[in-house]
Amino acid sequence: MGEHAATGLEKWLLDKTGKDIYFWNFQVLMFFTLFEVGAVFFEVIPGTDIAITRFMVWGILIVVGIIKGYGIAAYFMHLKGDPRIYTRTALFPVLFVLLMLWGIGLSNPEAVTELPSWCTPDWDYATKR
Amino acid sequence: MSGGHNNHVDNSVWSRAIFMAGAILTIGIVAFAALGLGVGSVKHDTYDDAKAAYYDAMDDPTVSEAELEHLHHEEIDAHLSYLTYWVAGITILIISAIYAIFLGIGGFINLIQPQDDHHDDHHDDHHDEHHGSASPIIFCLGVLLFLMGFPDFVEALRALMSQGGTFAAGDLVLSTLGLTVIMIGVANWWREDLPFIGHGEQIATSAPFEGEHIRKAGLWVFIMSEVMVFATFFSSYLRVRTEWCTKWAFDDGKCSVGATEGDIVLTASDYLRPGGAAGTGDFWTMLPGAVNTFALIISSYTIVLALKTAKSKDWEAPKGVLRYLLPDKKTAVRNYLIATLLLGSMFIVLKLVEWSHLVAEGFTVGTVQGSIFYVATGAHGLHVFVGLLIMLYLVFKADTIGYDEDNGQGIEYFGLYWHFVDLAWVVIFPAFYLY
Repeated sequence: MGEHAATGLEKWLLDKTGKDIYFWNFQVLMFFTLFEVGAVFFEVIPGTDIAITRFMVWGILIVVGIIKGYGIAAYFMHLKGDPRIYTRTALFPVLFVLLMLWGIGLSNPEAVTELPSWCTPDWDYATKR
Repeated sequence: MSGGHNNHVDNSVWSRAIFMAGAILTIGIVAFAALGLGVGSVKHDTYDDAKAAYYDAMDDPTVSEAELEHLHHEEIDAHLSYLTYWVAGITILIISAIYAIFLGIGGFINLIQPQDDHHDDHHDDHHDEHHGSASPIIFCLGVLLFLMGFPDFVEALRALMSQGGTFAAGDLVLSTLGLTVIMIGVANWWREDLPFIGHGEQIATSAPFEGEHIRKAGLWVFIMSEVMVFATFFSSYLRVRTEWCTKWAFDDGKCSVGATEGDIVLTASDYLRPGGAAGTGDFWTMLPGAVNTFALIISSYTIVLALKTAKSKDWEAPKGVLRYLLPDKKTAVRNYLIATLLLGSMFIVLKLVEWSHLVAEGFTVGTVQGSIFYVATGAHGLHVFVGLLIMLYLVFKADTIGYDEDNGQGIEYFGLYWHFVDLAWVVIFPAFYLY
Protein backbone atom coordinates (compact mmCIF):
# COMPACT_ATOMS: atom_id res chain seq x y z
CA MET A 1 0.00 0.00 0.00
CA GLY A 2 2.96 2.30 -0.32
CA GLU A 3 3.17 5.13 -2.81
CA HIS A 4 4.90 4.59 -6.11
CA ALA A 5 4.48 5.63 -9.73
CA ALA A 6 2.27 3.35 -11.85
CA THR A 7 4.22 1.17 -14.28
CA GLY A 8 3.48 -1.74 -16.63
CA LEU A 9 0.00 -3.18 -16.20
CA GLU A 10 -0.93 -0.57 -13.63
CA LYS A 11 -0.08 2.27 -16.00
CA TRP A 12 -1.81 0.57 -18.93
CA LEU A 13 -5.01 0.09 -16.94
CA LEU A 14 -4.89 3.66 -15.69
CA ASP A 15 -4.35 5.06 -19.19
CA LYS A 16 -6.97 2.88 -20.88
CA THR A 17 -9.74 2.97 -18.30
CA GLY A 18 -9.02 5.91 -16.05
CA LYS A 19 -9.25 3.53 -13.06
CA ASP A 20 -6.25 2.49 -11.00
CA ILE A 21 -4.98 -0.99 -10.21
CA TYR A 22 -6.74 -1.02 -6.84
CA PHE A 23 -10.11 -0.61 -8.52
CA TRP A 24 -9.46 -3.43 -10.98
CA ASN A 25 -8.01 -5.68 -8.32
CA PHE A 26 -11.18 -5.12 -6.30
CA GLN A 27 -13.30 -6.06 -9.33
CA VAL A 28 -11.28 -9.25 -9.90
CA LEU A 29 -11.59 -10.22 -6.22
CA MET A 30 -15.34 -9.65 -6.27
CA PHE A 31 -15.76 -11.66 -9.47
CA PHE A 32 -13.77 -14.64 -8.24
CA THR A 33 -15.54 -14.63 -4.88
CA LEU A 34 -18.86 -14.72 -6.71
CA PHE A 35 -17.52 -17.57 -8.82
CA GLU A 36 -16.26 -19.42 -5.73
CA VAL A 37 -19.52 -19.13 -3.84
CA GLY A 38 -21.55 -19.85 -6.99
CA ALA A 39 -19.63 -23.07 -7.61
CA VAL A 40 -20.90 -24.68 -4.42
CA PHE A 41 -24.49 -23.60 -5.00
CA PHE A 42 -24.74 -25.90 -8.00
CA GLU A 43 -24.68 -29.68 -7.94
CA VAL A 44 -24.36 -29.86 -11.73
CA ILE A 45 -22.74 -27.44 -14.16
CA PRO A 46 -25.60 -25.13 -15.18
CA GLY A 47 -27.07 -26.07 -18.55
CA THR A 48 -25.49 -29.54 -18.52
CA ASP A 49 -25.88 -32.86 -16.74
CA ILE A 50 -22.26 -32.87 -15.62
CA ALA A 51 -22.08 -33.33 -11.86
CA ILE A 52 -19.75 -31.10 -9.89
CA THR A 53 -17.54 -33.61 -8.10
CA ARG A 54 -15.51 -32.94 -5.00
CA PHE A 55 -12.35 -32.89 -7.13
CA MET A 56 -13.89 -30.15 -9.28
CA VAL A 57 -14.78 -28.24 -6.12
CA TRP A 58 -11.20 -28.74 -4.84
CA GLY A 59 -9.79 -27.45 -8.12
CA ILE A 60 -12.05 -24.42 -8.23
CA LEU A 61 -11.46 -23.50 -4.59
CA ILE A 62 -7.67 -23.87 -4.80
CA VAL A 63 -7.31 -21.96 -8.09
CA VAL A 64 -9.65 -19.18 -6.95
CA GLY A 65 -7.87 -19.04 -3.57
CA ILE A 66 -4.49 -18.60 -5.27
CA ILE A 67 -5.82 -15.84 -7.54
CA LYS A 68 -7.47 -13.99 -4.65
CA GLY A 69 -4.47 -14.44 -2.38
CA TYR A 70 -2.18 -13.05 -5.07
CA GLY A 71 -4.48 -10.09 -5.70
CA ILE A 72 -4.62 -9.14 -2.03
CA ALA A 73 -0.93 -9.67 -1.27
CA ALA A 74 0.48 -8.21 -4.49
CA TYR A 75 -1.73 -5.15 -4.93
CA PHE A 76 -3.62 -4.36 -1.72
CA MET A 77 -0.65 -5.21 0.52
CA HIS A 78 1.55 -3.78 -2.19
CA LEU A 79 4.21 -6.45 -2.24
CA LYS A 80 4.38 -5.71 -5.96
CA GLY A 81 6.10 -2.34 -5.93
CA ASP A 82 7.58 -2.45 -2.44
CA PRO A 83 11.21 -3.51 -1.89
CA ARG A 84 11.79 -7.25 -2.31
CA ILE A 85 12.66 -7.69 1.34
CA TYR A 86 8.96 -7.48 2.21
CA THR A 87 8.08 -10.27 -0.23
CA ARG A 88 10.89 -12.36 1.20
CA THR A 89 9.60 -11.68 4.70
CA ALA A 90 6.07 -12.64 3.66
CA LEU A 91 7.30 -15.85 2.03
CA PHE A 92 9.60 -16.83 4.88
CA PRO A 93 6.95 -18.80 6.82
CA VAL A 94 5.87 -20.73 3.72
CA LEU A 95 8.48 -23.44 4.37
CA PHE A 96 7.21 -23.91 7.92
CA VAL A 97 3.61 -23.85 6.79
CA LEU A 98 4.32 -26.57 4.22
CA LEU A 99 6.13 -28.61 6.85
CA MET A 100 3.14 -28.27 9.16
CA LEU A 101 0.66 -29.22 6.47
CA TRP A 102 2.80 -32.21 5.50
CA GLY A 103 3.96 -33.30 8.93
CA ILE A 104 0.77 -32.64 10.88
CA GLY A 105 -1.99 -32.14 8.36
CA LEU A 106 -1.23 -35.22 6.34
CA SER A 107 0.10 -37.41 9.09
CA ASN A 108 -2.85 -39.71 9.60
CA PRO A 109 -2.78 -43.12 7.93
CA GLU A 110 -5.78 -42.65 5.69
CA ALA A 111 -4.52 -39.36 4.37
CA VAL A 112 -1.13 -40.84 3.63
CA THR A 113 -2.48 -43.79 1.67
CA GLU A 114 -4.43 -41.38 -0.50
CA LEU A 115 -1.28 -39.51 -1.51
CA PRO A 116 1.09 -40.34 -4.33
CA SER A 117 4.29 -41.96 -3.08
CA TRP A 118 6.49 -38.93 -3.80
CA CYS A 119 4.82 -36.89 -1.10
CA THR A 120 4.23 -39.63 1.45
CA PRO A 121 6.13 -39.09 4.68
CA ASP A 122 8.28 -42.15 5.27
CA TRP A 123 7.68 -42.23 8.98
CA ASP A 124 6.77 -45.48 10.70
CA TYR A 125 4.27 -43.97 13.04
CA ALA A 126 2.32 -42.56 10.11
CA THR A 127 1.31 -46.03 8.98
CA LYS A 128 1.66 -48.16 12.10
CA ARG A 129 -0.33 -46.10 14.53
CA MET B 1 4.15 5.69 18.79
CA SER B 2 6.03 7.04 15.86
CA GLY B 3 8.87 9.17 17.19
CA GLY B 4 9.85 12.27 15.25
CA HIS B 5 8.12 15.63 14.91
CA ASN B 6 4.83 16.31 16.58
CA ASN B 7 2.05 18.84 16.29
CA HIS B 8 0.71 20.61 19.31
CA VAL B 9 -2.55 18.99 20.32
CA ASP B 10 -4.80 20.47 22.94
CA ASN B 11 -6.11 18.09 25.59
CA SER B 12 -9.66 19.14 24.88
CA VAL B 13 -9.55 17.18 21.61
CA TRP B 14 -9.99 14.02 23.68
CA SER B 15 -13.46 15.11 24.74
CA ARG B 16 -14.43 14.28 21.14
CA ALA B 17 -13.49 10.65 21.82
CA ILE B 18 -15.93 10.63 24.73
CA PHE B 19 -18.60 12.19 22.52
CA MET B 20 -17.97 9.55 19.83
CA ALA B 21 -18.19 6.82 22.50
CA GLY B 22 -21.58 8.16 23.55
CA ALA B 23 -22.79 8.27 19.95
CA ILE B 24 -21.65 4.69 19.31
CA LEU B 25 -23.33 3.43 22.49
CA THR B 26 -26.55 5.22 21.54
CA ILE B 27 -26.53 3.59 18.10
CA GLY B 28 -25.95 0.21 19.77
CA ILE B 29 -28.85 0.68 22.20
CA VAL B 30 -31.20 1.81 19.44
CA ALA B 31 -30.19 -1.13 17.22
CA PHE B 32 -30.69 -3.55 20.12
CA ALA B 33 -34.08 -2.04 20.94
CA ALA B 34 -35.16 -2.30 17.29
CA LEU B 35 -33.72 -5.71 16.40
CA GLY B 36 -33.46 -7.58 19.69
CA LEU B 37 -36.41 -6.22 21.64
CA GLY B 38 -38.68 -5.04 18.82
CA VAL B 39 -38.49 -7.51 15.97
CA GLY B 40 -36.96 -10.14 18.25
CA SER B 41 -39.94 -10.23 20.62
CA VAL B 42 -42.38 -10.47 17.70
CA LYS B 43 -40.32 -13.34 16.30
CA HIS B 44 -40.23 -14.97 19.72
CA ASP B 45 -44.04 -14.88 19.89
CA THR B 46 -44.17 -16.48 16.44
CA TYR B 47 -41.73 -19.13 17.65
CA ASP B 48 -43.83 -19.81 20.78
CA ASP B 49 -46.93 -20.20 18.61
CA ALA B 50 -45.15 -22.53 16.18
CA LYS B 51 -43.76 -24.60 19.06
CA ALA B 52 -47.18 -24.84 20.73
CA ALA B 53 -48.77 -25.88 17.42
CA TYR B 54 -46.15 -28.59 16.94
CA TYR B 55 -46.46 -29.93 20.49
CA ASP B 56 -50.26 -29.94 20.25
CA ALA B 57 -50.04 -31.81 16.97
CA MET B 58 -47.75 -34.41 18.51
CA ASP B 59 -50.47 -35.24 21.05
CA ASP B 60 -53.17 -35.31 18.40
CA PRO B 61 -53.52 -38.79 16.80
CA THR B 62 -55.48 -37.40 13.84
CA VAL B 63 -52.50 -35.36 12.56
CA SER B 64 -50.65 -37.10 9.73
CA GLU B 65 -46.88 -37.67 9.69
CA ALA B 66 -46.49 -35.26 6.78
CA GLU B 67 -48.34 -32.52 8.62
CA LEU B 68 -46.34 -33.15 11.77
CA GLU B 69 -43.13 -32.86 9.78
CA HIS B 70 -44.36 -29.61 8.24
CA LEU B 71 -45.16 -28.17 11.68
CA HIS B 72 -41.75 -29.24 12.95
CA HIS B 73 -40.06 -27.41 10.07
CA GLU B 74 -42.14 -24.34 10.79
CA GLU B 75 -41.06 -24.46 14.43
CA ILE B 76 -37.39 -24.72 13.45
CA ASP B 77 -37.72 -21.87 10.93
CA ALA B 78 -39.44 -19.69 13.53
CA HIS B 79 -36.71 -20.45 16.07
CA LEU B 80 -33.91 -19.62 13.62
CA SER B 81 -35.69 -16.44 12.56
CA TYR B 82 -35.97 -15.38 16.20
CA LEU B 83 -32.30 -16.19 16.79
CA THR B 84 -31.30 -14.06 13.80
CA TYR B 85 -32.81 -10.88 15.21
CA TRP B 86 -32.06 -11.51 18.87
CA VAL B 87 -28.41 -12.45 18.31
CA ALA B 88 -27.90 -9.59 15.82
CA GLY B 89 -29.40 -7.12 18.32
CA ILE B 90 -27.47 -8.33 21.37
CA THR B 91 -24.21 -8.57 19.37
CA ILE B 92 -24.56 -4.99 18.11
CA LEU B 93 -25.26 -3.87 21.69
CA ILE B 94 -22.24 -5.70 23.11
CA ILE B 95 -19.75 -4.64 20.44
CA SER B 96 -20.91 -1.03 20.55
CA ALA B 97 -20.62 -1.10 24.36
CA ILE B 98 -17.04 -2.42 24.02
CA TYR B 99 -16.27 0.23 21.36
CA ALA B 100 -17.71 2.92 23.64
CA ILE B 101 -15.82 1.72 26.71
CA PHE B 102 -12.57 1.44 24.76
CA LEU B 103 -12.85 4.84 23.09
CA GLY B 104 -14.46 6.57 26.06
CA ILE B 105 -11.99 5.40 28.71
CA GLY B 106 -9.01 5.99 26.40
CA GLY B 107 -10.28 9.50 25.70
CA PHE B 108 -11.04 10.19 29.37
CA ILE B 109 -7.58 9.08 30.53
CA ASN B 110 -6.00 11.51 28.06
CA LEU B 111 -8.46 14.30 28.78
CA ILE B 112 -7.54 14.41 32.48
CA GLN B 113 -3.79 14.36 31.79
CA PRO B 114 -1.93 17.62 32.45
CA GLN B 115 -1.55 19.62 29.23
CA ASP B 116 1.75 18.78 27.51
CA ASP B 117 3.37 22.05 26.48
CA HIS B 118 6.26 20.38 24.67
CA HIS B 119 5.83 20.12 20.92
CA ASP B 120 8.33 19.74 18.14
CA ASP B 121 7.63 22.52 15.75
CA HIS B 122 11.28 23.37 15.26
CA HIS B 123 12.67 20.77 12.91
CA ASP B 124 16.29 19.91 13.50
CA ASP B 125 18.23 16.69 13.47
CA HIS B 126 18.03 16.27 17.22
CA HIS B 127 14.25 16.04 17.09
CA ASP B 128 14.32 13.38 14.37
CA GLU B 129 15.62 10.93 16.94
CA HIS B 130 13.26 8.35 18.36
CA HIS B 131 11.86 9.55 21.68
CA GLY B 132 11.08 6.09 23.00
CA SER B 133 7.79 4.81 24.30
CA ALA B 134 6.76 2.68 27.24
CA SER B 135 3.30 2.07 25.76
CA PRO B 136 4.00 -1.29 24.03
CA ILE B 137 5.51 -2.84 27.15
CA ILE B 138 2.67 -1.51 29.34
CA PHE B 139 0.20 -2.97 26.85
CA CYS B 140 1.98 -6.34 26.85
CA LEU B 141 2.04 -6.42 30.66
CA GLY B 142 -1.72 -5.83 30.62
CA VAL B 143 -2.25 -8.67 28.14
CA LEU B 144 -0.11 -10.96 30.31
CA LEU B 145 -2.18 -10.17 33.43
CA PHE B 146 -5.45 -10.52 31.52
CA LEU B 147 -4.54 -13.92 30.12
CA MET B 148 -3.23 -15.15 33.48
CA GLY B 149 -6.60 -14.39 35.03
CA PHE B 150 -8.65 -15.40 31.98
CA PRO B 151 -9.76 -18.92 33.09
CA ASP B 152 -11.08 -17.57 36.42
CA PHE B 153 -12.56 -14.57 34.58
CA VAL B 154 -14.55 -16.88 32.29
CA GLU B 155 -15.74 -18.98 35.23
CA ALA B 156 -16.90 -15.86 37.06
CA LEU B 157 -18.75 -14.63 33.97
CA ARG B 158 -20.38 -18.02 33.51
CA ALA B 159 -21.56 -17.92 37.13
CA LEU B 160 -22.82 -14.35 36.66
CA MET B 161 -24.84 -15.43 33.63
CA SER B 162 -26.25 -18.40 35.60
CA GLN B 163 -24.47 -20.87 33.37
CA GLY B 164 -23.14 -22.92 36.29
CA GLY B 165 -20.48 -22.64 39.00
CA THR B 166 -20.28 -20.31 41.97
CA PHE B 167 -19.54 -16.63 41.55
CA ALA B 168 -16.49 -15.31 43.38
CA ALA B 169 -15.58 -11.65 42.88
CA GLY B 170 -11.91 -12.50 43.40
CA ASP B 171 -11.95 -14.42 40.11
CA LEU B 172 -12.41 -11.16 38.25
CA VAL B 173 -9.51 -9.30 39.87
CA LEU B 174 -6.50 -10.37 37.80
CA SER B 175 -8.16 -10.01 34.40
CA THR B 176 -9.77 -6.70 35.35
CA LEU B 177 -6.37 -5.43 36.47
CA GLY B 178 -4.97 -6.63 33.12
CA LEU B 179 -7.71 -4.81 31.19
CA THR B 180 -6.99 -1.64 33.19
CA VAL B 181 -3.28 -1.82 32.40
CA ILE B 182 -4.11 -2.50 28.72
CA MET B 183 -6.30 0.63 28.65
CA ILE B 184 -3.55 2.74 30.22
CA GLY B 185 -1.04 1.44 27.65
CA VAL B 186 -3.44 2.04 24.76
CA ALA B 187 -4.39 5.54 25.96
CA ASN B 188 -0.74 6.46 26.32
CA TRP B 189 -0.05 5.08 22.84
CA TRP B 190 -2.86 7.21 21.39
CA ARG B 191 -1.54 10.28 23.20
CA GLU B 192 1.88 9.75 21.68
CA ASP B 193 0.62 9.02 18.16
CA LEU B 194 -2.11 11.64 17.81
CA PRO B 195 0.21 14.64 17.32
CA PHE B 196 2.49 12.74 14.91
CA ILE B 197 2.60 14.59 11.59
CA GLY B 198 4.70 12.11 9.69
CA HIS B 199 8.17 13.60 9.77
CA GLY B 200 10.94 11.69 11.51
CA GLU B 201 9.58 8.18 10.99
CA GLN B 202 12.14 5.79 12.42
CA ILE B 203 14.30 4.20 9.74
CA ALA B 204 16.08 0.85 10.06
CA THR B 205 19.85 1.33 9.90
CA SER B 206 20.98 -2.24 9.35
CA ALA B 207 20.27 -5.20 7.06
CA PRO B 208 17.97 -6.68 5.96
CA PHE B 209 15.53 -3.77 6.31
CA GLU B 210 18.11 -0.99 5.97
CA GLY B 211 16.47 2.25 4.87
CA GLU B 212 12.93 0.96 5.50
CA HIS B 213 10.47 2.24 8.07
CA ILE B 214 10.91 0.24 11.26
CA ARG B 215 7.18 0.18 11.93
CA LYS B 216 6.45 -1.30 8.52
CA ALA B 217 9.18 -3.94 8.83
CA GLY B 218 7.93 -4.81 12.31
CA LEU B 219 4.41 -5.18 11.04
CA TRP B 220 5.51 -7.59 8.32
CA VAL B 221 7.37 -9.70 10.87
CA PHE B 222 4.22 -9.68 13.00
CA ILE B 223 2.13 -10.78 9.99
CA MET B 224 4.66 -13.55 9.39
CA SER B 225 4.01 -14.86 12.91
CA GLU B 226 0.28 -14.62 12.33
CA VAL B 227 0.63 -16.79 9.23
CA MET B 228 2.07 -19.48 11.50
CA VAL B 229 -0.84 -19.14 13.94
CA PHE B 230 -3.40 -19.73 11.20
CA ALA B 231 -1.26 -22.50 9.71
CA THR B 232 -1.60 -24.42 12.99
CA PHE B 233 -5.39 -24.24 12.74
CA PHE B 234 -5.34 -25.26 9.12
CA SER B 235 -2.93 -28.17 9.56
CA SER B 236 -4.97 -29.41 12.55
CA TYR B 237 -8.11 -29.20 10.44
CA LEU B 238 -6.42 -31.06 7.59
CA ARG B 239 -5.21 -33.69 10.05
CA VAL B 240 -8.69 -34.50 11.33
CA ARG B 241 -10.53 -33.81 8.12
CA THR B 242 -8.58 -36.38 6.10
CA GLU B 243 -9.55 -38.98 8.69
CA TRP B 244 -13.28 -38.23 8.72
CA CYS B 245 -15.78 -40.28 6.81
CA THR B 246 -17.56 -37.30 5.26
CA LYS B 247 -20.52 -37.61 2.93
CA TRP B 248 -18.27 -36.94 -0.03
CA ALA B 249 -15.77 -39.59 1.11
CA PHE B 250 -18.62 -42.04 1.76
CA ASP B 251 -20.12 -41.52 -1.70
CA ASP B 252 -16.69 -42.00 -3.26
CA GLY B 253 -16.17 -45.23 -1.31
CA LYS B 254 -13.21 -43.77 0.58
CA CYS B 255 -14.45 -44.63 4.06
CA SER B 256 -13.19 -47.71 5.87
CA VAL B 257 -14.68 -51.09 4.95
CA GLY B 258 -18.11 -51.64 6.47
CA ALA B 259 -18.79 -47.93 7.09
CA THR B 260 -22.48 -47.10 7.01
CA GLU B 261 -24.31 -43.83 6.60
CA GLY B 262 -24.45 -43.65 10.37
CA ASP B 263 -20.65 -43.25 10.44
CA ILE B 264 -20.72 -40.10 8.32
CA VAL B 265 -19.14 -37.11 10.04
CA LEU B 266 -21.04 -33.88 9.47
CA THR B 267 -18.84 -30.81 8.99
CA ALA B 268 -19.86 -27.15 9.19
CA SER B 269 -20.12 -27.02 5.41
CA ASP B 270 -22.58 -29.94 5.55
CA TYR B 271 -24.88 -27.70 7.59
CA LEU B 272 -24.27 -24.54 5.60
CA ARG B 273 -23.72 -25.58 1.98
CA PRO B 274 -26.73 -26.13 -0.28
CA GLY B 275 -26.93 -29.88 -0.78
CA GLY B 276 -24.85 -30.48 2.36
CA ALA B 277 -25.20 -33.84 4.10
CA ALA B 278 -26.97 -32.42 7.18
CA GLY B 279 -29.91 -31.48 4.97
CA THR B 280 -30.16 -28.02 6.49
CA GLY B 281 -28.14 -26.08 3.92
CA ASP B 282 -29.73 -23.72 1.44
CA PHE B 283 -29.25 -20.24 0.05
CA TRP B 284 -30.04 -18.60 3.40
CA THR B 285 -27.66 -20.71 5.49
CA MET B 286 -24.81 -19.94 3.10
CA LEU B 287 -25.68 -16.27 2.90
CA PRO B 288 -23.98 -14.91 6.09
CA GLY B 289 -20.64 -16.52 5.21
CA ALA B 290 -20.90 -15.36 1.60
CA VAL B 291 -21.89 -11.82 2.59
CA ASN B 292 -19.01 -11.76 5.08
CA THR B 293 -16.58 -12.74 2.35
CA PHE B 294 -17.73 -9.83 0.21
CA ALA B 295 -17.76 -7.53 3.25
CA LEU B 296 -14.10 -8.23 3.98
CA ILE B 297 -13.09 -7.68 0.37
CA ILE B 298 -15.03 -4.42 0.18
CA SER B 299 -13.52 -3.32 3.50
CA SER B 300 -10.06 -4.07 2.12
CA TYR B 301 -10.89 -1.75 -0.77
CA THR B 302 -12.30 1.02 1.44
CA ILE B 303 -9.14 1.09 3.53
CA VAL B 304 -7.09 1.30 0.32
CA LEU B 305 -9.29 4.22 -0.71
CA ALA B 306 -8.75 5.87 2.69
CA LEU B 307 -4.98 5.63 2.24
CA LYS B 308 -5.09 6.69 -1.39
CA THR B 309 -7.18 9.73 -0.46
CA ALA B 310 -4.89 10.62 2.46
CA LYS B 311 -1.78 10.34 0.29
CA SER B 312 -3.30 12.22 -2.63
CA LYS B 313 -1.85 15.69 -3.21
CA ASP B 314 -4.51 16.79 -5.68
CA TRP B 315 -7.65 15.11 -4.33
CA GLU B 316 -10.93 16.35 -5.76
CA ALA B 317 -14.41 15.72 -4.38
CA PRO B 318 -16.36 13.25 -6.54
CA LYS B 319 -19.38 14.34 -8.52
CA GLY B 320 -22.94 13.16 -7.94
CA VAL B 321 -24.31 11.67 -4.73
CA LEU B 322 -20.88 10.72 -3.42
CA ARG B 323 -20.05 14.43 -3.15
CA TYR B 324 -22.23 14.58 -0.03
CA LEU B 325 -20.41 11.67 1.59
CA LEU B 326 -16.95 12.79 0.53
CA PRO B 327 -17.10 16.60 0.47
CA ASP B 328 -13.47 17.22 1.35
CA LYS B 329 -10.29 15.24 1.79
CA LYS B 330 -10.34 15.03 5.58
CA THR B 331 -13.99 13.93 5.70
CA ALA B 332 -13.42 11.48 2.85
CA VAL B 333 -10.60 9.71 4.71
CA ARG B 334 -12.71 9.56 7.87
CA ASN B 335 -15.77 8.25 6.04
CA TYR B 336 -13.81 5.56 4.21
CA LEU B 337 -12.49 4.44 7.60
CA ILE B 338 -16.01 4.49 9.06
CA ALA B 339 -17.19 2.37 6.10
CA THR B 340 -14.40 -0.11 6.88
CA LEU B 341 -15.42 -0.12 10.54
CA LEU B 342 -19.07 -0.77 9.67
CA LEU B 343 -18.24 -3.59 7.27
CA GLY B 344 -15.98 -5.21 9.86
CA SER B 345 -18.65 -4.86 12.53
CA MET B 346 -21.19 -6.42 10.18
CA PHE B 347 -18.79 -9.33 9.76
CA ILE B 348 -18.82 -9.97 13.53
CA VAL B 349 -22.61 -9.67 13.77
CA LEU B 350 -23.25 -12.07 10.87
CA LYS B 351 -20.64 -14.47 12.20
CA LEU B 352 -22.41 -14.75 15.56
CA VAL B 353 -25.83 -15.04 13.91
CA GLU B 354 -24.44 -17.90 11.84
CA TRP B 355 -22.90 -19.56 14.89
CA SER B 356 -26.21 -19.34 16.77
CA HIS B 357 -27.94 -21.12 13.87
CA LEU B 358 -25.29 -23.82 13.73
CA VAL B 359 -25.50 -24.45 17.49
CA ALA B 360 -29.31 -24.55 17.31
CA GLU B 361 -29.06 -27.16 14.56
CA GLY B 362 -26.78 -29.35 16.64
CA PHE B 363 -23.33 -28.37 15.36
CA THR B 364 -21.77 -27.67 18.75
CA VAL B 365 -18.26 -27.08 20.02
CA GLY B 366 -18.47 -30.39 21.88
CA THR B 367 -17.42 -32.40 18.81
CA VAL B 368 -14.01 -32.49 17.09
CA GLN B 369 -15.45 -31.03 13.89
CA GLY B 370 -17.28 -28.34 15.88
CA SER B 371 -14.24 -27.56 17.99
CA ILE B 372 -11.86 -27.02 15.06
CA PHE B 373 -14.47 -24.96 13.21
CA TYR B 374 -15.30 -22.65 16.11
CA VAL B 375 -11.68 -22.27 17.21
CA ALA B 376 -10.41 -21.45 13.71
CA THR B 377 -13.23 -19.14 12.67
CA GLY B 378 -13.37 -17.69 16.19
CA ALA B 379 -9.65 -16.88 16.13
CA HIS B 380 -10.19 -15.16 12.81
CA GLY B 381 -13.18 -13.26 14.19
CA LEU B 382 -11.06 -12.18 17.16
CA HIS B 383 -8.47 -10.79 14.74
CA VAL B 384 -11.21 -8.88 12.96
CA PHE B 385 -12.48 -7.52 16.26
CA VAL B 386 -9.03 -6.41 17.43
CA GLY B 387 -8.63 -4.68 14.06
CA LEU B 388 -11.93 -2.88 14.63
CA LEU B 389 -10.77 -1.60 18.03
CA ILE B 390 -7.62 -0.21 16.40
CA MET B 391 -9.76 1.28 13.64
CA LEU B 392 -11.76 3.23 16.22
CA TYR B 393 -8.62 5.21 16.97
CA LEU B 394 -7.93 5.73 13.26
CA VAL B 395 -11.45 7.13 12.85
CA PHE B 396 -10.88 9.40 15.85
CA LYS B 397 -7.58 10.67 14.47
CA ALA B 398 -9.07 11.12 10.99
CA ASP B 399 -11.91 13.12 12.57
CA THR B 400 -9.67 15.38 14.65
CA ILE B 401 -6.08 15.80 13.49
CA GLY B 402 -6.68 14.21 10.10
CA TYR B 403 -4.53 12.12 7.78
CA ASP B 404 -2.60 13.55 4.86
CA GLU B 405 0.27 12.68 2.55
CA ASP B 406 2.75 13.04 5.43
CA ASN B 407 1.18 10.94 8.18
CA GLY B 408 -0.95 8.59 6.04
CA GLN B 409 1.38 5.68 6.78
CA GLY B 410 -0.64 5.11 9.97
CA ILE B 411 -3.48 3.93 7.71
CA GLU B 412 -1.03 2.02 5.52
CA TYR B 413 0.38 -0.04 8.37
CA PHE B 414 -3.02 -0.80 9.82
CA GLY B 415 -4.17 -1.64 6.28
CA LEU B 416 -1.49 -4.32 6.02
CA TYR B 417 -2.93 -6.03 9.08
CA TRP B 418 -6.47 -5.67 7.78
CA HIS B 419 -5.54 -7.14 4.39
CA PHE B 420 -3.89 -10.05 6.17
CA VAL B 421 -7.16 -10.72 8.00
CA ASP B 422 -8.87 -10.73 4.59
CA LEU B 423 -6.17 -13.06 3.25
CA ALA B 424 -6.71 -15.50 6.13
CA TRP B 425 -10.44 -15.55 5.30
CA VAL B 426 -9.57 -16.41 1.69
CA VAL B 427 -8.25 -19.72 3.08
CA ILE B 428 -10.72 -20.27 5.93
CA PHE B 429 -13.92 -19.60 3.98
CA PRO B 430 -13.49 -22.26 1.28
CA ALA B 431 -11.92 -24.79 3.65
CA PHE B 432 -14.58 -24.60 6.36
CA TYR B 433 -17.67 -23.28 4.59
CA LEU B 434 -17.57 -24.52 1.05
CA TYR B 435 -15.76 -27.86 1.21
